[in-house]
Amino acid sequence: MLVLFDPSMQMLAISEELSEKVFPKNVIEIGSFAVNDSVISGFIVVVALLIVALILRLTIIRKWKTTPTGGQMFLEWLVSFFDKSADEMTEEYSGLMGPYTLGAAAYICCGVLVELFGLRPAIADVCACVALAMCTFLFIHTLGFAKNKHRRLKHYLNPINIITDLAVPVSMTFRLFGSILSGMVIMDLIYIVVESIWYIGLPVVIPAILTPIFTLFHALIQSYVFASLTLTFVSEAIEPVPKKQKKKRKQKGASSAAEPSV
Amino acid sequence: MELLVTMIVNLLVDMGPAIGAGLAALTGLGAGIGMGIATGKAVEATARQPEAVGKIRTMLLLGLAFAETTAIYGLLISILLIFM
Repeated sequence: MLVLFDPSMQMLAISEELSEKVFPKNVIEIGSFAVNDSVISGFIVVVALLIVALILRLTIIRKWKTTPTGGQMFLEWLVSFFDKSADEMTEEYSGLMGPYTLGAAAYICCGVLVELFGLRPAIADVCACVALAMCTFLFIHTLGFAKNKHRRLKHYLNPINIITDLAVPVSMTFRLFGSILSGMVIMDLIYIVVESIWYIGLPVVIPAILTPIFTLFHALIQSYVFASLTLTFVSEAIEPVPKKQKKKRKQKGASSAAEPSV
Repeated sequence: MELLVTMIVNLLVDMGPAIGAGLAALTGLGAGIGMGIATGKAVEATARQPEAVGKIRTMLLLGLAFAETTAIYGLLISILLIFM
């Protein structure tokens, strides 16, 4: 099966071939303005998503019925899944967070699944992950300040909270980037290794078995995780009053109630 | 003696990134233990209260994503060390 005449030489060749694929290549480069292949596939994903949304709007939503068809059922499930979880976590801002999480999840999911068409995944570039994480970061803080106004600043009396808040976008960026990049690298490694197997059928069967694990699974899990983490952080930020004050009030109330009796 | 030291130093310089990449892969240890504990507890919870499967599943997925993060950081670092 696997013919290894000189293992070390073959390993070197594989790692050289892989290193070309790990980092995005610049396709257009004009001075400091550079466009790499991840950005291009990102734009392809955006255009495809917009076209699909337009088609769905013109076909399924126009023929909305009380007895739903398959497409209508799927759309209802998809939208109500995100709306319901947004309702549970961020009560009054669910109108804002539901569509945002659905959009981000759709972009991440489709941005990874582009890999199945032979393009480089849109998320396998740090900049795309930073952009998504910064969107979440802005949502967390604008909604936090909109809900709690100046009272939210009391949260920063403990300086550790500043670091905790700044770590959120970093950890979201690297979680997304790392998992997508690792899935892509493993799939590229498999494609390269499979080429050297000249056993009829195996080069077709092995990737077909492994692609769902490393691409489909990652895409769905990471988009779900991104959406639910966004909701968790937002719901944490819009919690009404810090817990410490509540405890103090209770203690005061208890002490004031205890004093008269004594 | 000097020859040995220079040999070791040369070896470290040559193989340093590879050793670092191997060490970075040790992050998988903690992540594996954490994910194992989380899954075990989720199974226990499901056995105790089978009607709460949906809530337990969402919580489990979130927890697994958090536990997996450290392993992903390690993987990212080792990939960067190998290919940069």
